Amino acid sequence: MKRFLNIITGPVVAAVFCLLLSGGSIFLAFKGSQSSCVLMSTPPALGFSALVLLLLAVRGVLTLFRRRFDSAILHLGCALVVAGWLWGVVESRRVAAARPDHSAMMNMLHSNGETGKTRAPLSGSMALAEGDVMNSLWEGTYLDQFVGKLDFSVKLDRFAIEYYEGSEHDRMQGRMPPIKEYCSRVIVSEPGKDTFTRDIRVNQPVRIGDYLVYQMSWGQSTNRQNQPVTYTVLKFVRDPGLRIVYAGFTMLFIGIVLFTGKVIRMVPQIEEVDRAD
Amino acid sequence: MQIKYTLQGLLIYLSALFFAATLTVCLTLWAGRKRNRQREVHRDIERLKKGFWFAGFLTAVVSLAWRGLHTGHPPMQNLFEFFLCMAAFLWPLSRLSRWKQGIDTTLCDSFLGLIILIPAGFIFDESVRRLPPALQSPLFVPHVASYVIGYIMLARAALVAAPLFLRLERRRLLLLECASRQITAVGFLLITIGLLLGSLWGKLCWSHYWQWDPKETWSLATWMLYGTYFHLRYRYGLRYPRLLAALLWIGLLFVILTLTWINLSRLFKGMHTYA
Repeated sequence: MKRFLNIITGPVVAAVFCLLLSGGSIFLAFKGSQSSCVLMSTPPALGFSALVLLLLAVRGVLTLFRRRFDSAILHLGCALVVAGWLWGVVESRRVAAARPDHSAMMNMLHSNGETGKTRAPLSGSMALAEGDVMNSLWEGTYLDQFVGKLDFSVKLDRFAIEYYEGSEHDRMQGRMPPIKEYCSRVIVSEPGKDTFTRDIRVNQPVRIGDYLVYQMSWGQSTNRQNQPVTYTVLKFVRDPGLRIVYAGFTMLFIGIVLFTGKVIRMVPQIEEVDRAD
Repeated sequence: MQIKYTLQGLLIYLSALFFAATLTVCLTLWAGRKRNRQREVHRDIERLKKGFWFAGFLTAVVSLAWRGLHTGHPPMQNLFEFFLCMAAFLWPLSRLSRWKQGIDTTLCDSFLGLIILIPAGFIFDESVRRLPPALQSPLFVPHVASYVIGYIMLARAALVAAPLFLRLERRRLLLLECASRQITAVGFLLITIGLLLGSLWGKLCWSHYWQWDPKETWSLATWMLYGTYFHLRYRYGLRYPRLLAALLWIGLLFVILTLTWINLSRLFKGMHTYA
């Protein structure tokens, strides 16, 4: 049994898998980001990932017994990253599968209060103009597919675009200087709790409830009175596997440092090598 | 193809000229390696080589620093700045090889420097853009810097491993294979760090640590290819030195593709698109 495990998780099989994954990655690069994302959450891709996870984990444990700690930590780290990613994808599939049909969703959207028995969505966005209050999350290019409700509601207090100081050249051409920062100030209120205010900027997501909230986009449109309004797009994301992935990253990093340390300390296995050849 | 008539361009051409001079001296030394051993001249030429090499490094650093001062942000935003960075890091890494590994890689490093500076000098656009909000992050410099140094190390590893394709005496084979593997290991460490930092940054900026962006998937493909290299080296040792060298050269090809084709082609639309 152990011999069998040693062979199927051995370096030759691993090299073949690495090559396969390398080729697969290139294939996905040609497919593009969105269709790769869809393709990688189909059952065959998930099954293959689970196989990779299993091989990595078994190899990690085997090398741990052999006290080759660099290799063990490296492989277990990779296994954790794959596991955390798988958990996130499987969970999002389950949430999507548990979503009720269109009419029930519309009822949920227009009812006040209870979010019903559906699971909270894993991700979704909302577009807000200043003063808007919203507690629903949306998907799609035009944010027109309703995906679920939040336990709290978000009011956009202020959306600010900060510009760099314009150059002389820009001013002469009548152009706006480049954008330095976007900032959405939101007021979050949840029934039975104190309201609080948060500033959401690019690169600085803010934690609200279970979600991390991102400044994703912005745009200009007109309201019902045909006046121009600027809106901001906030993205709400929660990822149940994130901590596992981060743990995997840490182990991968430690493992690779140990591995590199081992390789760079090696010397060619012959006597009296004239090193300054 | 355009010639840059600016101070920036002048510095780049000067530094390329020094790299070319270093390369010429190296090739001369290599061509006369059997005759030169006994001669006094040999030491003077050796000194000349070191002088040119260091002068090339100095001008590359000055050109990078000028770019940084001129744009007002760390010069790592687009391909032009990325290539300037690579040129400036060559000399220290070459010295590191000399010091730690006892091998002289000036020939391949100066060749690499020349190759790197040609697109920076003649092809890439040097117009200045302010940092957009997405790039204003403390992870910007570490993420790009680890890729800059990592890619140079992987390119150097391939060049050092080039003689493995030939028939070598045993001692030289062992020495070169070990040197190339050590350089690859450091490069692999750095591209791993770059990948992990990129993931963390992606989570902070784009809301997910992995978006299947073309550049991400190509980087993963490169990482996996070097994974293949280390697994095969571990299993078969020195039985197939040509296979190992071939893998390092395919790796270099991947690095070049990741840097140029994936960034510039419209085929790969993604979030990593730069000017």
